[in-house]
Amino acid sequence: MSLKVSNVSLVLGDGDQRVTALDDVSLEVEPGEMVAVLGPSGAGKTSLLAVCGGLRTPTSGEISIDGTVITRVKPAKLTEIRRDRIGFVFQQSNLVPSLTSLDQLLLLVHLRGKKPNGEDTERATALLEEVGMSARIDRRPGQLSGGERQRVGIARAFMMSPALLLVDEPTSMLDQNRGKQIVELLSKECHEHSVATLMVTHDHNVLASADRVLNISDGRLAEQA
Amino acid sequence: MGLVVALVAFLVTILSGTSAGLIKNNISGLIELPATHLAFEYNERPSYRNTMVERYMWEGWQGSPGVKAMEPMGHTVFNARTQRDEPLEIVLWGLRPGSFIEPKVAEGEQLGPMEDGVIISRLLADDGVKIGDTIILDRVLTELKVIGILDEERNIGHMPIIYTPLPKWQEATYGPPGGSPPGEKLPDILFDFVSMLALQLEEGVDVVPLDDAFETATLDREEFYAASTGYTEEVMSVGMIQLFLVIVSAVVIGAFFTIWTIQRTKEIGLVKALGASSWYLMKDALGQALLLMLVSTAVGLGLAIAIGKGLIEGTAFPFMFEGGMVASSMLLLIVAGLIGAAFAIRQINAVDAMIALGREQ
Repeated sequence: MSLKVSNVSLVLGDGDQRVTALDDVSLEVEPGEMVAVLGPSGAGKTSLLAVCGGLRTPTSGEISIDGTVITRVKPAKLTEIRRDRIGFVFQQSNLVPSLTSLDQLLLLVHLRGKKPNGEDTERATALLEEVGMSARIDRRPGQLSGGERQRVGIARAFMMSPALLLVDEPTSMLDQNRGKQIVELLSKECHEHSVATLMVTHDHNVLASADRVLNISDGRLAEQA
Repeated sequence: MGLVVALVAFLVTILSGTSAGLIKNNISGLIELPATHLAFEYNERPSYRNTMVERYMWEGWQGSPGVKAMEPMGHTVFNARTQRDEPLEIVLWGLRPGSFIEPKVAEGEQLGPMEDGVIISRLLADDGVKIGDTIILDRVLTELKVIGILDEERNIGHMPIIYTPLPKWQEATYGPPGGSPPGEKLPDILFDFVSMLALQLEEGVDVVPLDDAFETATLDREEFYAASTGYTEEVMSVGMIQLFLVIVSAVVIGAFFTIWTIQRTKEIGLVKALGASSWYLMKDALGQALLLMLVSTAVGLGLAIAIGKGLIEGTAFPFMFEGGMVASSMLLLIVAGLIGAAFAIRQINAVDAMIALGREQ
């Protein structure tokens, strides 16, 4: 089991400001399975991604990634898990402005304290080719369209062979057609690389590509009927 | 950002050139004096203006162990004018022609047979005094003939030095106004007095017993620089200005790195979400800060040297590059900048990787 979320709750704020962002959430995602979580804004989608990605520690409950419990480790260890086991695809692709498409991917090698070698460059080039960006590997984000940036973001997410891929609203900056293509691409990559993928979205049009769809509302998760 | 550091480096370099120039303008005559020590008449605080050394004192020093060379020299401040009635404020130094303290002329002749000949420094020549001109000392009306010009300035207390044979100096300093009456000789005793002794001592010589024996006060180079009017105060003021400039630079550079860090907050959050540790990011940022400091400092330094050498040096504006002083200022600037940057970059620690998810939680 690549992602296992057991009875997780997340309470944010103090006193009158207390908000229960996640309320006793349980969820499992298998390798190569793409699970979509659908819900309006404020329903707890981002909180779910944040606790699964180790960016927030849940108030209660347990999360394990690839068999490692991440809710009981030190921050430094959490950074390491994020670096080595988790891939992110962000809402706005979130590329580093000064780097070319190829370097966006090689940056992850640098973050592990290594100098990229020929093998790393080959892998990055192959991934960029898979997402249809081979003609644009030396472009910087400013020279790419929104859809192209998202493709680079997807290639980056697979660079370090993650056990878990977390996808945050991948279509929010794209038109319907492009959004659909991107999610189809994500689904294809997820199956090909056998990565457990958790995607949060409010976009009903992309659900067809998901293997399973869950609804989130007021921090509570429910299987879609 | 790089421009700001380059400008600060430029400013520090120009300022250090100006300080070195100011100090040189005060005491270049002493800096160029090839003596290890100067012996003054005994005084708690020996001064150039108030010292009189007698013949028995210098003859005593002459043969003492550890004394490689000794020269009596005279020092008197005079108002003077040229034969064209141009006013001059000068310091008249008397010395024995051919002695080790006589500077080498670039034009004209060394001191020698002509008893009223003088050597002047470059600055006076730039002011229009030429070889063959007459310089007339006010009050005593002694007339001196310019026979040689030095290539550089030689000052003490910011006044140009002119060099004349010792007997002429003694006549001007101790003789009656207008010199000796026609046909009369000045009394011999006048020639038994000088202002101070230029000494070349062997290393490690203890001057205390010699000072006790000959009633002198001997100062080493640092001390006889400091005895020049205003020197200590100038060094202190300039040092303070430089210190403040370096502190201001550290704050400015710190402020700029703070802005730089804030501008990069989103990027830092993203890279953190991708698994970068704060330590990795701080190391990276500090490395970039160092690189930026080095390159910008080099640019500012180069610019300052080009402008200083090309436009300022050689004019009347006191300015001089002193390698050690410039190098230490640059080093201090880089260290101060890095401290400033380190304070700013600490904020990287506080950046929340949640920013990468695009929403505050």
